[in-house]
Order: sequence, then structure tokens, then C-alpha cells
Amino acid sequence: MNIESPRQSWAMYKYDHIDQTLVDQRVIQFRDQVARRLNGSLAEEEFRPLRLQNGLYHQRHAYMLRVAIPYGLLSSTQLRTLADISEKYDRGYGHFTTRQNIQFNWVTLEDTPDILADLAKVEMHAIQTSGNCIRNITSDAFAGVAGDEYVDPRPICELLRQWSTLHPEFAHLPRKFKFAINGAKEDRTVLLCHDVGIELKKSANINNGELTDGLTADIYAGGGMGRTPILGSLIKTGLPWQLLPSYLTALLRVYNRFGRRDNLYKARIKILVKALGPEEFARQVEGEWLHIKNGDDNFTQAEWNRVAKHFTKPAYQSLAKLSPKQVLELAPAEDTAVNKAGFQRWLERNVKDHQVPGYASVILSLKPHGTVAPGDATTAQMNAIADLADQYSFGELRVTHEQNLVLADVEQAQLYKLWQAAKQQYVALPNIGLLTDIIACPGGDFCSLANAKSLPIAKAIQERFDDLDYLFDLGDISVNISGCINSCGHHHVGNIGVLGVDKDGEEWYQITLGGEQGNQAAIGKVIGPSFYADEIPDVISKIINTYTKQRSADESFIEAYRRLGVAPFKEAAYQDKKEHAKKKDNAEVMGSAA
Amino acid sequence: MTINTIASHEQILHFPREGQPHLSSNEWLIWNGSQDEAGNVTLPDLENSQFKKVLVPFTWWRSQLDAHHNEADIEADIEAKAKLGQMGVWFAADDDILKCADLIEEGKHYWRLVAAHFPIFRDGRSFSTAALLRDRFQWETEIRAIGDVLIDQLLQGARVGFDSFALRPDQKTDVALKQFDLFTVSTQNSWRGQRTLLQSASSEANLVNA
Repeated sequence: MNIESPRQSWAMYKYDHIDQTLVDQRVIQFRDQVARRLNGSLAEEEFRPLRLQNGLYHQRHAYMLRVAIPYGLLSSTQLRTLADISEKYDRGYGHFTTRQNIQFNWVTLEDTPDILADLAKVEMHAIQTSGNCIRNITSDAFAGVAGDEYVDPRPICELLRQWSTLHPEFAHLPRKFKFAINGAKEDRTVLLCHDVGIELKKSANINNGELTDGLTADIYAGGGMGRTPILGSLIKTGLPWQLLPSYLTALLRVYNRFGRRDNLYKARIKILVKALGPEEFARQVEGEWLHIKNGDDNFTQAEWNRVAKHFTKPAYQSLAKLSPKQVLELAPAEDTAVNKAGFQRWLERNVKDHQVPGYASVILSLKPHGTVAPGDATTAQMNAIADLADQYSFGELRVTHEQNLVLADVEQAQLYKLWQAAKQQYVALPNIGLLTDIIACPGGDFCSLANAKSLPIAKAIQERFDDLDYLFDLGDISVNISGCINSCGHHHVGNIGVLGVDKDGEEWYQITLGGEQGNQAAIGKVIGPSFYADEIPDVISKIINTYTKQRSADESFIEAYRRLGVAPFKEAAYQDKKEHAKKKDNAEVMGSAA
Repeated sequence: MTINTIASHEQILHFPREGQPHLSSNEWLIWNGSQDEAGNVTLPDLENSQFKKVLVPFTWWRSQLDAHHNEADIEADIEAKAKLGQMGVWFAADDDILKCADLIEEGKHYWRLVAAHFPIFRDGRSFSTAALLRDRFQWETEIRAIGDVLIDQLLQGARVGFDSFALRPDQKTDVALKQFDLFTVSTQNSWRGQRTLLQSASSEANLVNA
């Protein structure tokens, strides 16, 4: 029997024999490296960069494997393989990350080559998900479907994925190197917080008197979070897409040669760009580029055609666009008022506009209140979500950098049925963009770099604000939590940022306010001395209360913050802090006397 | 080995651009430019050494030419040695070769061998040095990787432009020799060849037409 696979209509890149050969041979190479580590001929110190470049970290309890989900795009088949891996080699769950990847927290070194072999069978790998190299490229989770998109970034993402994979010259950069690529009006990629941000544009261009197809890139360099958060600087505009490889080679070459290697914390490109100044950095890149811009590294039209043909539109039906009222009426008349209200809320928060009439994009929330870590999905959930993708969205999914999953191409007429099915899997909480849609890194519970735990903080906040009426009233607000200054939880760009810090072996938390992602990207400002873990929910409440008291009409949290400044929030946050500090001082005096 | 040289295997791993990887015995002493046991900063004595050729630090070469500009005999001596193929230079990871383009162009007449140094295996600056020597200077003779050169850098090194490797002495040469054919495809151009392209209908048509 010949069952037509949903694959037929996927708008996803399909490996050719070159891609497949490369990942298969990478597995063989890594298997040999692991064998040499296990037989002792490769020292841990020297194995470390090798395993990191294949996504394998050594964490607090076990090895952690980070699997690449290039630009966040995933097929149902791939998700089922991830589910299988979580069951066979891990403890029944996986963690979706802020860079659109997935992590398994409990793997063994010995199993890793087999996991990679399983991944290779479904066109996946863990190449360059860590290490001081060009990392997995991230992009807009709504690429190809977003209503505000002017260029579908996926062909460029895929071309650059291939270009950067096992790039020999840039295998040992001073530090990690992250690309983000955006092609929409609204930035959903945190573009300016990346080492390189590529903004794609389409316009009629005259180059040397010739009309080109007008797909160009603006290049931002030197953005990043971490210890020194900096927004990227625009260093190049109107770069024709074909020239990306030579331009990026020039940029990375300047960084590889002159980026600092004497201090881990000053090794990112942002420090080099800041030290030279963006203009001088741009000048040096331009100087290098001059020699190679006409070389044969550049992309050809044939390569574009080979890659872009995969990102055609799926087999959309010709449907009428449903009005919000019509969508609401998908709920049966006899449905309870509570159910109807729940459906309405879900439509409001978790369903997004689509380019094609009659379709919508749906965000499945991986942020249930206070039960699991933000971004976690169990084996059963992954399998069930893969089924939902097959049934409702051409067998394809996306991972958002906010750690949720997206079904990008859902018929509006199916929304009610999908909502019910998603509820069964506990992924239908209507909290997208609300206070409990927390971004958090795995923190001190898992990560050996962390200074403090982040998951219990996320849980405590979700428990404190476990009231949807209240959350809806608060509206858009982002709370981002990082367990250390590496900032995997993107706390710098959270409206409210929480950063775990270590003070004399104790876990403390610093609060920042005013961070923002998107077109008005901003780095949050630290409001003052840090807090104990158990103070955090109260502090958040005080900040939120200040907002609700002082907001005007429809003003969002960040708008109110911009108008009011940090002062009233800060004052509220530290209201009872003096008492606490006194107690702490006394304790310390007694401690030092003992 | 003496205190002022950089250690490597007795054998050098060669991987010519057009050819197979193989081992051959090392002829080159790598002087690190520092003092010898007697406290002198002078070229190692090759007369009494198993090695008859020496790689000197590029910075030393430059300083000799600068310092002895009026002492033509010393300059001539160095140049003579180099011309006889007995002297080459090695670039430190922080040598900015683009700033010394003239000197390097000139070196094409002298140096039969140049090398780029890895102070530690995870420092990738010398990958760019080799790439620039090949791309920018059209360096056609041998470029050797020296210093903390480990088995798992060989593939990258071979692709950016190195064609010989002075492996750190603890590295197993039999394992090293097997590294170069691990991958039969690549997705970006390198000194060794173009990225692998699909045999598309149009390129086949071109072949037919040619």
C-alpha cells in the first residue's frame, strides 16, 4: 500500500546526498573521537572542544547533548525521533532552548555516537551547537507565514547553515559566534543581541547600472548579552545576498585574527567591535573583503535554486478568511461558558495572523504554570505534538526562541478542534506573551556554569501569578531568567530580567527592568542590590502593582516603564528591603564572631 | 631537543595538495628565538645538530634585516643560508602578516619552508594565517603547522592551506594518517578544492557542450 506521506507538501529543506554524507561522516568522526577519549589516548582537556563542537556538554549530573534545530524548523518525523531519543537515552523529556534547539540532560558519553546516528537518519545533527565556532543559525519562528514578512529568510538560513558547517578556518574562534537572520518588519529573532545579525530586505536595486533581483542584507555586528550586553551596530547595508559568504569570511577573519584570546570574558566579537569602534571595524572588514569579494566563495543562482525550491508554500487550500466572530463560533453552541471563554483567550494569545486567507499560526505553550521547566516537553507530548503537526499543519513545526512550539499552517476552521487536542497535552495554556510565558535557562539544577537556580524562580513566579484573569489584565510583559551572566535566559532583554548571582556561595538574584526584544530592542537596567530567591515573587508583585497603579488606559508594562522611568518601580521593589538588610547584617556580625 | 626549540615528532606528516598523506623524517629544527643554554640569542648551531635546516621566528628575521642594515655581511649570511634552502621562517599566532606584505613577498625568494605556530590547539589564528598565505600571497610552496598540533586539527589545517604538520610528539602518527579521508564532501571552498556541488542538469549540459 502506498500511503502518501505528508512530506509531499512540507515546506522544509530536504537533505541531498551531500548533506547526508556530511552528517553520516561526522558521526563516524565523532565515534572515533569518543573511542579515543574512552581508551585514554585523548585527554579530557583536548576532547572538550571536540565534544562541544558536537553539542556535548558535561553538566552537573551527566552529559547534556544539544541537538541543532536549524532556524527552528522541525518536521513531525524529526520530532518523533527526538521523542524516541528522550525515551531511550534520557529521562523522558527534552528541553527546547532560547536558540531554537533542544537539549537532553541525561545522556552518557558512550551513547552519544548512537544518538547522533539516530539523528542523522532524520537529517539532524548536533554540529556546532556549542564551542567557539559559528553556532546553529536562528531565525523567525514564523518565517514564510508571518503577515509582516518581506523576505522569507529560510533559503538564506539554509545556505548559510551549509556554508558555516565544518568551516575549517573558523573552527577555533576566540569565542562562540551566533548568527540571527530576520526578514520581517517586526524582529522576532533578537537580532541585535547576536554576534552577527542579518536583516534581509527586498528592493529594486541598481548595481553598476544593472538591475539586480534586489534581495540584499544589512549586517549588524557586535551584539551580545553575557557580561557586557551590547546591541549590534549596523556595519553594512545593501549587501547583495550572493556576496554573503565572502563578506562573512572577511568579517570572521578579522575577528579570528584580532579578537581577544587572553580573557574569556572579553573574547566575544562585541568587545572587538567596541574597542575598535563600529566604523573602524567595518573599515577593516571592508579592507579584507575587497580582496575576496569577487572570488568563487559566493553563492550562485544555481545554489539558491537548489535550496529555495524546498521552501515553497505547502499545499494550501483555497479558503475564505474567517472573521474573529466566525472563528469563535467554531465552538459548539452547547459548549459551556467557561470553555467558550477559554477558547477565546487562546485565540487571543496563542493564535497569530497568517499570510494566506483561511489559515492561522498557533503557538503551543510549553509554559504550564509551576509544573515543569519552561521549554520542557515529555516524550508523550513530543509524540502527540508530532501527530498534531501531521493532522493540522502539514507535518511541520517551529521552535520559538521563547521556548514554545508553533504549528505554522493551521486552517482557521480547525482551530477549535486543535485547541481541544492541545489541551489534552497541556500545551494550550493561553499565556503567550504574558507574564508566565517565562524564558528561562536550565540554571543551577543542571548547568555547571550557573551561579544560581532559575527553574524554581520561574516556578515560584508562575505559581504567584496563576490567575488568567489577572494575567490578561496585565497584558504583554516578558519575564526572562538566567542562572548566570552567560545570559542563556535572555534576562537582559526581558521587560523584567532576573539574573542569578553568587555571593559568598549563596544564590542571589539581580533584577533588571526595561529590557526589550524586537524593533525597539533595549538592554534592561539593574535596579539595585540583589535579592534572596524567596523574595523574588514579592519583588515581582511590587513591580507589577506599581505598573497597575500608575498605568494609563491601554499602556503596556514596557510603555509605562518608558514613561515613568525606573524610580517608582525601584522604590516599590526595595520597600521592605531595609528590614531584610538589617537582619542580614546582624546575622553576618554574629557569623563573623563565631 | 634544546630549551630554545619547538618540539615535534621526528617525523613530519606531509599531505601535499595533489597527493596522499605520508610521513618523512624531519629535517628542520624550529628555533623559538629565545636564549640558548649559554644565554645567547643566536641561531642554533646546525653544524653539530642532526638537523641541517632551521625555521626562525619571522619577527627575528625582520629584526635582523632591520638591525643589521649596515652590516651587509650578516645580512648576506642569513640570506645566503635562506637561499640555500637552509632557513625558513615561522609565523607566530599574533604576527600580522598583512602588515608585512613586502617582506613576505620578498621571502618567496628565500624561504623554501614557512610555518605557522599554534600556541595551543584551540587557538585558530594560524588557520587564517595559512589561508591568507595561500589566497593573498599565492604562496605555492610548503606551509607547515607547528606547535600544539593535534590529530583533530589536521583536517581543518589541511583545508585552509597547510600541507605539512609537525605533530606534538605525543600524537599517534598512525591515527593522524587516517584523518584526511574522513569526509568526502564539503560545503565551502578551501585551498584543496571547491565545495561539493550537485551534478545538476545544467552542469551536465555544460560538460556535454565542453
